[in-house]
This record gives sequence, C-alpha cells and structure tokens, in this order.
Amino acid sequence: MNRRVILLLAFVIAVTGALLGLKGLAGHQVRQAVPVSSPVSPNDSPSASAPVSQPIFAPDFSLKSLSDGRQVQLSALRGKAVLINFWATYCGPCKEEMPFLVDLQKRYGPEGLQILGVTMDDGDEKAIIEFTRKMGVNYPILQGTEKMADSYGGINGLPTTFFVGRSGKVVKELLGSAEKPVFEDLVKQALQQSAGGAEHSREKQNP
Amino acid sequence: MKLLYSLVLLTAVMTGVFAAGQESPARQGRTFVTALPVNPVAVSPGRRTPVDFTFRVESGYHINSSQPLGEELIPTQLHFSLPGEMAVGKIQYPAGELMDFPFDPKTKLSVYSGDFVVHGLIVAPTAAALGTYTVHGELRYQACDNNACYPPKKLPFTFDVKISPAVKRIPKARPNAASPHIHN
Repeated sequence: MNRRVILLLAFVIAVTGALLGLKGLAGHQVRQAVPVSSPVSPNDSPSASAPVSQPIFAPDFSLKSLSDGRQVQLSALRGKAVLINFWATYCGPCKEEMPFLVDLQKRYGPEGLQILGVTMDDGDEKAIIEFTRKMGVNYPILQGTEKMADSYGGINGLPTTFFVGRSGKVVKELLGSAEKPVFEDLVKQALQQSAGGAEHSREKQNP
Repeated sequence: MKLLYSLVLLTAVMTGVFAAGQESPARQGRTFVTALPVNPVAVSPGRRTPVDFTFRVESGYHINSSQPLGEELIPTQLHFSLPGEMAVGKIQYPAGELMDFPFDPKTKLSVYSGDFVVHGLIVAPTAAALGTYTVHGELRYQACDNNACYPPKKLPFTFDVKISPAVKRIPKARPNAASPHIHN
C-alpha cells in the first residue's frame, strides 16, 4: 500500500512538473494588448497603446501569403522594420486604416519597412484577395492562424498592430484603429531601431 | 485509500487549472450580447404559437443587423435545434438602426444596439407527442465598438416548449353582432 502511495505521489509530482514546464514554454508570448475605447490620435496619451516594460522579440511565424501562395517567415525579414497588422474583412476600422498602410508601405518601403497584413477571416481566400485588390493593398496578406494569434497574446480585437523594429523586438502594439500620424510615428521608431539592439524600446516611447 | 482519491483529485484539479491557464484570450468567451430568459412556450399540436426572443447588446458595442449594408459584413442570425418535428418559423428580425461611427463617419451601417427583439412562431406537428421539450437556440453575431471589431461569436440559449392538448376555443361574442335576445 505504501509503495503504491509513493508511486502515485511521484506521478503527481511528475505531472505537476510537466505542466509547469509546458506553461513556462507557452509563456513566450507577446503580452495581451490593452483595449482602447476611442480612436488613437497623435494628441492622445500613450495609454492608448500598450506599454511593455521589457522589449520582447516578436514571435516568429511562417504564414501563407494569399497574394502569391508563398510562405512568409518573420525571421527572414530581420533587419527590416515590420508592421504586423491583424485585420478582417468584416472589420470597419481595419478597412479605414488600410489606405494609411498602403501609403506607409509606399513611402517607407525603400527605407526598410515591410508591412504584413494578417487576416483573421475564416472566409474563402478569393473573397479576401478580391477585397484587398479593391483596397489597393501593396503588401503581403497572410492567412492568420489561431496558433500564431495566440503567440501574439491572443488577438482580442481587430485591428491589432505590432510595430517590430529592425532587431526583431516589438516597439509597440496598438489595439484598435489609430490616426495616420500615430502609425507614421511608430513606423519611424521601428525604422530607427538598429538591427543589433533596441535603442528605441517601448519605455522610451512612453513619456 | 482516501489518500489515493485525494491524489487523483489533486491531479485532476491541477490539470484543469493548467487547461484554463492555457486558454487564449481570444477563446475566453467574451460576450457582447446576452439573451434574456424566454418564458416557457405552451403549444398545441398542429398550432402555431408566437414567441419573442429578446437580446441585449452590451453598452458601447453594436452588432450588425440581420441585413447589414455591406457584403463583407456578418449578419446577425438565429439558429435553432428542435426536438422531433417541431420548428421555429417566420423569424422576423427587427430593422437595423442606421448609424455611423468614428472610424468611418461617412458610411451608415445597419446595426443593433441596446435591446432588440426577434419574433418567431413555434410550430408543433399535429402528431407531436405531449410533453415539455427544451429547444436550443444560437444567436450568431459579430460585434464592434467605436474603435475595434471582435471575432464572430455564437450565443447559445435555451427555452422550454410545452406541448399540451388543444383546448377548444370558445368563440368570443362579437360586440356589434345583434343579439336575438336584445330588442330595441
């Protein structure tokens, strides 16, 4: 009987250890975004975006581009500033900011900006492609997955945008729509982050 | 033996806690709409009985109406799973309120906010077995606020339908009909 109890106790300890270990691994996510109640404007307080005390590397992913069927891997873009925009066709605020993104890609692409649109639509690919064609989108549209969204803290609302610096660290995340100058300012900050480090960590962007 | 049970219980609890901790925020059942309770509906075989479903959209949010003004927008829809050959027919959604929002002030959207009521008719077949049945309904919707949108949601709800024998209706007296017993 005693031996049985000891064995069971060992089993419970082993299960606990395994669960805690798994949880620790799963903890490597971008923290959950803070929802904002109104559109972010340049004059708004920075509480509208999510400050993070420690710069975090944007979790790597490989997603299929709906534009050409190729896989796009985030880590292959190291050295560029990357704007990851989670969106969906049913999302009005997402649609409204698309022209900003198109313009930013056009103007800052030559300086090293790469915008990635990650669609969270469940709908058919053709409809998504047609939608982005109508919107004149000039950056890759990737089919998002739940796993990938989870790695970014779980995408609770759309749009959600992550600004990733050249070093691969997240400069800022925005939940909800924002005005164009806010995007532009954050794109500039992401471009200024050197490939080797994070001179412009999120603390510096939040006075 | 008690210790054995305790250990097994502890393992189960730990696994549950772990599973809850693993659930992503996107899946954590954030609701924007609640279904108000539906009173039990009394139905007679072969008859149609009206029923109202009232839903409450959380303050600060809106959902698309059943006929949104845009092909990419997700309409609000009610679905039912009914026992036997019962059916919910003639579902009538309210007209959406035409509103514009800060993210696109130039465009009107057809939405529901606050409380809205969907009408339906419960139909029980003539040969329906008498008794009380639980009907499972599901409201499918997609919510937004002034600044962001949220993934499509399904709101399950239930209500009871009691099938009782038909009661013979006594014709109401017509007030304007001339009574043979009244003479002016």
